[in-house]
Amino acid sequence: MPKIIIDGQEIECRPGIPVLQAALEAGMDIPHYCYHPGLKIVASCRLCLMEMKMPHPKTKEMAWAPKLFPSCQTPAKDGMEVRFDSDAVRANVRHVMEYYLLNHPLDCPVCDKAGECYLQDYTEDHGSAASRMVDEKQKNPKKDIGPQTLLYSDRCVLCSRCVRFCDEISGTSELRVINRGSRGEIDVFPGRPLDNALQGNVVELCPVGALLDKEFLFRQRVWTLKTTKSISPVDSRGQSIYIDYNEEGIHRIRPRFNEKVNEWWISDEARFGWKHVHRDDRLNQPRVRGSDGLVPQRWEELPEFLRKRLADAAKQVSDSVAVVLSPMMSCEEAWLLAKAVRDVAPQAVLFHGFVPVVGEDRTFPKGFVVKAEKCPNRRGIETICEHLGGNTANWGDFLGMASSGKIKAAYVVGGYPNEWLTSEAVAAIGQVEFLVVQDLFPTALTEHAAVEIPSVSWTEREGMFMNCDGLLQEFERALNPLEGTKADGQFFFELAGNVGLFRAKKVREEMAAALPVFADVFIPQELPEHAH
Amino acid sequence: MRDEDVIVLEEPQLSAAERLYLPQILDGVKTTLRHTFSVKNRKQVVRQYPEDTRQGRGELRLANYRGVHRLNKDPDGRVACVACFMCSTACPAHCIHIEAGESPWPDREKYPVKFDIDELRCIYCGMCEEACPVDAIELTPNYELVGLTRAEMIFDKEKLLQVYEETKDVKPRKNPPVTDYGLTGGQSKDVAQPNVERKV
Repeated sequence: MPKIIIDGQEIECRPGIPVLQAALEAGMDIPHYCYHPGLKIVASCRLCLMEMKMPHPKTKEMAWAPKLFPSCQTPAKDGMEVRFDSDAVRANVRHVMEYYLLNHPLDCPVCDKAGECYLQDYTEDHGSAASRMVDEKQKNPKKDIGPQTLLYSDRCVLCSRCVRFCDEISGTSELRVINRGSRGEIDVFPGRPLDNALQGNVVELCPVGALLDKEFLFRQRVWTLKTTKSISPVDSRGQSIYIDYNEEGIHRIRPRFNEKVNEWWISDEARFGWKHVHRDDRLNQPRVRGSDGLVPQRWEELPEFLRKRLADAAKQVSDSVAVVLSPMMSCEEAWLLAKAVRDVAPQAVLFHGFVPVVGEDRTFPKGFVVKAEKCPNRRGIETICEHLGGNTANWGDFLGMASSGKIKAAYVVGGYPNEWLTSEAVAAIGQVEFLVVQDLFPTALTEHAAVEIPSVSWTEREGMFMNCDGLLQEFERALNPLEGTKADGQFFFELAGNVGLFRAKKVREEMAAALPVFADVFIPQELPEHAH
Repeated sequence: MRDEDVIVLEEPQLSAAERLYLPQILDGVKTTLRHTFSVKNRKQVVRQYPEDTRQGRGELRLANYRGVHRLNKDPDGRVACVACFMCSTACPAHCIHIEAGESPWPDREKYPVKFDIDELRCIYCGMCEEACPVDAIELTPNYELVGLTRAEMIFDKEKLLQVYEETKDVKPRKNPPVTDYGLTGGQSKDVAQPNVERKV
């Protein structure tokens, strides 16, 4: 581990990283635009310049070199001494900031980046209040560069992060810097818009408000949003995300750094995969079939009713009760539901739910993978079933057994954002006498269901998912459950005979005691502001 | 608490004359009688509002009175607001609700599609006016704010623009003093070079 001295302070850093990265990791806020730990280094923004001690050419004594060095491009070597806290460095930052603001329109009040803009932050910290520019500002046009993204070229600082992202991470190279010098701007090639599976990342990557998401454009100012750490349920890797929301609902999803899964990026699927949460046709009350169809039922009466009916079915034929655990459920929920049903019907069969697969896995040049498996917790469900033992089987077996009439009572959990049932599956499940369906939206199973229970989306629940590589990650609740619904975990908690409030952490402790795998929850390192 | 911390105060003893209470009563009656028989005072105490409003020395100073809000129009007659949400951010009563959209005019980026102020919730502190970067929202001297339902006290964009039409003669719109996007350097006129004429 090399040790370097920054501003007289000795810092131990990882070998081979640039001085800037070492300083950022040590918690220093060094201004920079072009440097990003996930991208190649170009050292073009000139904001992170530092002073460095070098041997004097004549006396060979260590002395501060007269010129400044880009700290992003200088690898940290053991024993080197640098400083950012000096007049020369401060003067450089001040002048470079003034230079960046020459043509910047200063339209912060109408810019969506205001509040999380590096240019705004650095101007406040290092810039000057007045501009000495006397000429007209150069006005560059607003450009529509892709189906999801807008480019406001006059706000751009030409850090070229977006260009490098498209070259290196997505490997599609749609963006380029055209023209040179003060006329330089970002653009796409004619007829080739910015349209790839990772393109949304350029919006967060942009340190200023030049690249903006059309979806979020003008929706909210960022300081009105609350943020929750979550895991994206759109594919089986479990990409770490931030959910930005307020009382009106979710407004956007941003990537959260996770060194083991998605690093700094997320796929567009994850970014825009929250629309179903606010669909109008969400189920919002539990219903039980009476003589004239499904009638609304009070939540309080459901647990007792279900326990009784499932126990009755188990008394007739002991292994005729089935539980289908959806891979959209969290580990805690699956655990509670399986336990609750096994409690009244000890021979109940646990089935792995339907696993949606779309296309093939896509691997991007630097190793970012978009999985074909579009559910977050298949591994978690399998682990739980394996641990609980007894009769377990998969979705295909369930359909087979259901159509042959061997299953008398079934608790089927869905929770998928899209339509998931084939007509054969509906026909097979329709054979079940006492069918409990728990889902987000009305499905074809509604007409066969004896009990229909609303499920809530992952943003309204808390728990943990085990991703396709066996990594256990937790997610927090952002929104309150839709009016009339109950968080799945809370309902299963009551179904299992408990009284009080469901807390994922408590259930997790219980699970970890039974199965040590569940004690090992991975929490990614949290990066400070301006860390990348 | 210790005993020595307690200070015991004795009630002052009233004299025989004081115990009669007559001098005090007469003192009070004197003031009442003075007002009853003073013609000048009697005329000034009761005012037949709203036919008769305050004039002269007691008149409201309209220039800085904080009454009903208005949304200013720019010289072209468009709403001056750029939907930056600064007023709703500054508002301590959370009474301003804005919905922004892309403006139909080429020289502007954003404009308010909806702009609602709940005049019942508002505490008339004037923070919105201070926060506005383009001086689009202002409080007017109009203090006669009445309505029969809560719903009609939520002023929408049209109503607020109408208030501007009604009050622009009493209180003309100030020029945007801080942020003028036409100005070189985006600075106030005191800071920027004076060789560029201000667009008004």
